[in-house]
Amino acid sequence: MKSAVYLLSIAVIALGLYAFDVKEDNKQLQQAIHAQYTNSLSNASEKLSYLQRSVAQSLLFQDEKALQNELDNIWRTSNELRSSISGLPLNPDVANQWLRYIGKIGDEAKRASTNGDYETWQSKMKVVNKNLEQLTDEWAVATAQFYENDGNFDKWQQVAKTELEESPFKNLASNLKTYTEKDFPLTTSESDWLKKRDLKHIRDREITKDEAIQVLEKLVPGIEDATYTVSKSKDDAPYPFYHIQFVKGSRVGYADITVKGGHLISFLSERPVQPDKNITQEKVKELVQQFIDRAGYDDLALVEMRENHEAWHIHLARVAGKHNAFVYPDGVQLKVSKDSGELLGLNAMEYVQRENINENQPVVPIDWKQFFRPNTVVEEERFIYTENEAYELRLCYEVIARFSDNINQTYRVVVDTENHDVIKVEQLP
Amino acid sequence: MVRKLLISMLILMTTIGTFTVMKPEESFAFSNQVLERGAFGDDVIELQARLQYLGFYHGKIDGKFGYGTYWALRNFQESYGLKVDGIAGAQTKRVLVNNSDFDREWVHAQINAGRDFTYYGGIPLNQQVKGNKGSSGSTSYQLPPKFTEQDLQLMANAVYGEARGEPYEGQVAVAAVILNRLESPDFPNTISEIIFQPGAFTAVADGQIWLTPNERAKQAVLDAMSGWDPSENALYYFNPNTATSKWIWSRPQIKQIGQHIFCY
Repeated sequence: MKSAVYLLSIAVIALGLYAFDVKEDNKQLQQAIHAQYTNSLSNASEKLSYLQRSVAQSLLFQDEKALQNELDNIWRTSNELRSSISGLPLNPDVANQWLRYIGKIGDEAKRASTNGDYETWQSKMKVVNKNLEQLTDEWAVATAQFYENDGNFDKWQQVAKTELEESPFKNLASNLKTYTEKDFPLTTSESDWLKKRDLKHIRDREITKDEAIQVLEKLVPGIEDATYTVSKSKDDAPYPFYHIQFVKGSRVGYADITVKGGHLISFLSERPVQPDKNITQEKVKELVQQFIDRAGYDDLALVEMRENHEAWHIHLARVAGKHNAFVYPDGVQLKVSKDSGELLGLNAMEYVQRENINENQPVVPIDWKQFFRPNTVVEEERFIYTENEAYELRLCYEVIARFSDNINQTYRVVVDTENHDVIKVEQLP
Repeated sequence: MVRKLLISMLILMTTIGTFTVMKPEESFAFSNQVLERGAFGDDVIELQARLQYLGFYHGKIDGKFGYGTYWALRNFQESYGLKVDGIAGAQTKRVLVNNSDFDREWVHAQINAGRDFTYYGGIPLNQQVKGNKGSSGSTSYQLPPKFTEQDLQLMANAVYGEARGEPYEGQVAVAAVILNRLESPDFPNTISEIIFQPGAFTAVADGQIWLTPNERAKQAVLDAMSGWDPSENALYYFNPNTATSKWIWSRPQIKQIGQHIFCY
């Protein structure tokens, strides 16, 4: 009996010590997270003040050099602030609105710095400066609650988890939304881009579920007689579509087809692929061409092919205009199995969205020898249409250039044909 | 004795004959695939190794036929008086095989072990291993230029942690949501920041993001990176059976895939 009591006492003491140890570990962990979050919060507050001061200071100067310096500061700080805010446990609405507003300021600074249109910058920033000052004050008030918890992390988390309606961030969220809409209204090209994205231009007649299945079977003959489950998109979807899920043997997949016009926008099929059986790249190209002909996509050209373990991913683009330019935003992607060449996927969303191209954009020739440094070799050059940062579709030169050393690092450089803005530089694998 | 000698000679000649007949097969290189930009796999590994052996290719031997391999092949074709097209057809491969050596076993062993190595002719192989890089070539992928292997790995972890029980379509959709956020001004600018944004993904909060993703999750990410978006431009998703946040229910919904409702 004595021994049992003795053993039990030891067990209780050991358990107590263990529980104490675990609790201490948890406490230390909580304190570490608490310190990290508080650090991020303070960091974000400091950067916000700095950004606000920089925006205000940018209104002081007419001198280009002084203004450029402030614009660079603003662009850099806005990026850093976005990064700090994204690391904080904020309500999603507050975080999203902040990221958008701060990002817009950074974008404007970059645009002004690039195109030298300082007047537009200063006229926009007069209002932004005032609003940003107010938002900075509101941020300070709202975040004060995070510092008033006597080191209790549970209370701290409670502040972070409060629904927006009761949260200290309520006013800030509401003002951010208003200011974003007023200070940075959508440009025409942004608005057009959204309309295009939401397929607003499709005016075709509506099709039925059965017709949607027919569209799918015409484009992907391999799944004829599959078992289908068809549902319609939710009421809030920006464009109505049929969501077709199918099963045929070992194949399981889906297709989304617009209700208006029956355009196939997305299709994927999953099935086991035999690992050691490969058809040739030439055969894949042949099958792609057969598919294009069957689908009636007669204005598409092959841009890129990428082989991986089970399938080929193929990127096609519409060719249009007097320059036979590749319209990259009107792309189609195909996925073809390596073992048999079966079509496993089709993404034609961008092709269905279809851009209106401006054929009259001037083409000012570029002397590439002057444009690039002497050790750069221009290997290929063609015309493409692509979107710039302002969502405008621009005719561009697309140049494949490489360094003339033994590594041959290769780059894709996209340059506007009219104003010679460099729209994209991308290192190619 | 003579008979024994004759039998021995016959056996010897048969053996030599067999080896002579077998030799072309042993040195037979490449499959019958015509290799060009975009190709991937063992044939490309051999092509890169042979080009490096001859001093034309200085990049990584990784089985990915990119521009580095393309320019090296063109230079080789030019030097050997072949048609310069950057395509490894039968003739190019024959000339390459006749002028270079390829130790398939050694090269693949280095790749499978994730070692950083080169394969230049005239240098002992043991002097060409530079150390471990960690990632095995056999598990790598050819990705669109704007993505890295790290992006693929991180996204595959997120997809596996969030949606491993979902249909393939649902897994691609989760990956697409991450990429849609990357394009949206309302979200951070990098894949890592998006995934680790506090409260953004349940798998991060409950630690399931650290589970090792399977091949299917990686394929799903690869499809999303290649342009597929079964979510139809969604920025959020939630499980209607478990979601308690009023906010998420207030989002405009697009479609349901498996257990997830996708919204924007």
